[in-house]
Amino acid sequence: MTRPFKDIWFVLSAATLALFALFLLYPLLNVLSASLSAGAGGQSGWATLIKDPRYSSAVTNTLLLGAIVTVTSTLIGVPLAFVAARFSFPGKALIALLPMTTLIVPEVIAAQIWLMILGNNGFVTRAFADWGIRLPSFYGWFGLITVMTFVYYTYVYIGTLAAIKGFDSQLEEASQSLGVPPGRTLLKVMVPVVAPSILASALLVFTLVVGNFAVATILGQRVYLLSVLTYQSFVSEVGTNPVMQSTLASVSIGIVACALFAQRWIVSRGRYEIVQGRGAKPTPLAGLATLPIALGAAFVMIVSLLPLVTIVAGAFTRARGPVMRWGEWTTANLERVFLSAPDPIVNTLIFAGIATVLSLLISTVVGFLVVKKRNALTPGIDYLSALPLALSGTVLGIGLMISFNGGFLPLAGTGAIIVVAYLIRRLPFGIRNASSTLYNIPNSIEDASISLGVPPLRSFFKVVFPLMLPSIAAAAVLVWTTTVAELSASVVVYSAGQETMPIQIFRLIDSNLMAQASAYGLVLVGVILIPILIATTVFKIDLFAAK
Amino acid sequence: MAGIRIDNLVVGYGAEPVISGLSLDIADGSLFTLLGPSGCGKTTLLRTIAGFIPVRAGKLFFGDRDVTDLPAYRRDIGMVFQDYALFPDKSVYDNVAYGLRARNVPEATIKTTVGEYLERVGLSAFAQRMPAALSGGQRQRVALARALAIKPTVLLMDEPLSNLDAKLRVQVRETIADLQRQVGITTVLVTHDQEEALALSDRIGLLRLGKLEQVGGPEDLYARPVSAYVADFVGAANTLQVELATPTTAGALAHVALDGATLQAFAPAALPAGKAVLIARGETLKLGPAANDANTIPCTVRRRQYLGGRTSFRVATASGREIVIEAHGAVPGLAAGDAAGLRFDPAQTLVVAS
Repeated sequence: MTRPFKDIWFVLSAATLALFALFLLYPLLNVLSASLSAGAGGQSGWATLIKDPRYSSAVTNTLLLGAIVTVTSTLIGVPLAFVAARFSFPGKALIALLPMTTLIVPEVIAAQIWLMILGNNGFVTRAFADWGIRLPSFYGWFGLITVMTFVYYTYVYIGTLAAIKGFDSQLEEASQSLGVPPGRTLLKVMVPVVAPSILASALLVFTLVVGNFAVATILGQRVYLLSVLTYQSFVSEVGTNPVMQSTLASVSIGIVACALFAQRWIVSRGRYEIVQGRGAKPTPLAGLATLPIALGAAFVMIVSLLPLVTIVAGAFTRARGPVMRWGEWTTANLERVFLSAPDPIVNTLIFAGIATVLSLLISTVVGFLVVKKRNALTPGIDYLSALPLALSGTVLGIGLMISFNGGFLPLAGTGAIIVVAYLIRRLPFGIRNASSTLYNIPNSIEDASISLGVPPLRSFFKVVFPLMLPSIAAAAVLVWTTTVAELSASVVVYSAGQETMPIQIFRLIDSNLMAQASAYGLVLVGVILIPILIATTVFKIDLFAAK
Repeated sequence: MAGIRIDNLVVGYGAEPVISGLSLDIADGSLFTLLGPSGCGKTTLLRTIAGFIPVRAGKLFFGDRDVTDLPAYRRDIGMVFQDYALFPDKSVYDNVAYGLRARNVPEATIKTTVGEYLERVGLSAFAQRMPAALSGGQRQRVALARALAIKPTVLLMDEPLSNLDAKLRVQVRETIADLQRQVGITTVLVTHDQEEALALSDRIGLLRLGKLEQVGGPEDLYARPVSAYVADFVGAANTLQVELATPTTAGALAHVALDGATLQAFAPAALPAGKAVLIARGETLKLGPAANDANTIPCTVRRRQYLGGRTSFRVATASGREIVIEAHGAVPGLAAGDAAGLRFDPAQTLVVAS
């Protein structure tokens, strides 16, 4: 490339890099540097972190919770994936819906639903109380572990299922032909090959638990957690200097970055070449094993789908203040949401709509640059585009607030900062999905178009872009659904009047107004579910092709 | 070591099982090939012998040992798969040692055995490599060493050469032939490649729709096919619908009517009068200028192709039936459009039931 600046792709690379530098690198550096400055009482954030037991226990609690939920998610996700891959039984088709539940039910709603079931006023808690049995409090470790496990096990399930399905079952036959019985064959042949995938998805769960804001805040209570304290420091430090929030944010960046590095290392080491992976045919369940396996799978299914049922029931149940009058039906909650307080719905649709369109534009271009048009700048783009994975929403929000509160680009207080937060947060997701088909598109078709006299950019839109369309459509649905559910970054950057549905639900839960929260929750689930249903049934898009 | 005896085997479910009532004896130490097109049941039969597919009825013996109800891992087989099936997370050495470790062989013995078999397949230098770092031919040789290192009763190979390119296929084919002869192990090989079957086998079983169409040595199948199907699958042959005027006994010369002429042809089996099929390999036919010799019919040359070692003619009979003749070397005279005489050799032209 002798004249780089004449090259349209180089110009686009430079523009992308500039965008990442401004909205990602600059806020990140601001967070890291603010943590080193002197705070209240003249000592640095790091000194406070070590001295104050509240902070140090938050670090150990966060690591412990991450470890426990990683283990429990694996214990549910791996056996379920094995059963789904290897056995057939009545009602198995429902298991295919599981990956969807994570998408359809935002974390904030999951936390709310569990509270409605097992919280102090939950219907199961009250039913037991009527029989004179006092259930342990759902707040604290019990609730955190339960809810996060059922929110995150699907990641392990999806990763493991893909690995088992990609595993060449001929290897098992080879092992048996050499004299090893089926059970030991699984341990000696399949486990080593699929273990890296399981471990990688388990580490992903760990990072998600560390960054989790919604469940941690709603259920954490007296268990100090990093993400909660970070947010609380942010709220109390507004206007003063942002030392403590930055310090805590830096700790969380460090933990997540370590986990992600470990994950990349495992994935790069453990990718075995499976020749022509032939999945084993699922065998029908028979005999003694049937009951525990089917019951176990059914239990996980029911618990995973429970939020959907409860949210509908909650939205139509009469409530007097915080008290839910189960069995008395009303449409008053939904009427209020649509007629007297529709702002959160409108805000969500506008902010997420703009962010999704921008995200798709950038994702398509970045995906194409990184996969097909490598130049001096693309490795930097590649790394930076994965960076948001290491930042929890809270951290990203704080970074944006520190960087764009006044100064050369005063975005704080405008809706633009919410759009930016959405955009950056979901960008790795968008890029990965939008570029998933690019690897299968040969470079020669673009060259052919150019050789026939069509300039590069037009060639891209005429021949490559149409082939990318299915994956872009899948990315559109996935980015949209995850963006409208976004809470942890937007709750940091929003100002009064800009509440989105997740923020409103979060505030209503805080005030213990579950019926109102359910009504917004139902609308939110609808906003998520309708595009998914249209995409999968009308357009037959495989949403999980990229995983 | 032992032979394999298959007794009235039924495999598969429903009214039309994949294999229904198949019996076969494979001699101790021989290499037997199951040949046939895809879907004929040859892989099913092999996997049943291996123990991966349950037997619905019938018996299966390795020597005197009844293995019908034994699971695969207790049958003491060595198996070589089409896509190698090397364990991707284990080195070449650990792949070959895998079956020995399962048998609790002492590590010192394992070391010498693995070394011996890697030597035999010419891969001693590759012991510490991972499978991904090997070529296709090397992978299949590792798979062969892995299967043989456990000194199995029988060796089963499922299309072991089909994933290799033409040149490697011949190389690995030689390795298999040499090793099988040295070790003297009863071997069953599945293939759809007739050349591979002819080159490697002591005996071949040609399968059609789950039934053995013909079992015999390579020369039997090529020179004395029992049906037009066998003739067509093993090598190229001209097959012609003919009329048999009178019934004929097995091993007799029959008189068949073709385009109004009467030809003599060998009948390997007794045939009733009526429709029959004449089988003539291209290289057994003689093309000459005159049409009045014995066992000769008139024809017209349609096309002539010089192919170096041979010349290929396509001729049409009076009724327009096309026949291909392969002549040695360059044949002077006779060009497209010429009238000629086509002579059938009575001993090498077969007549079988249609």
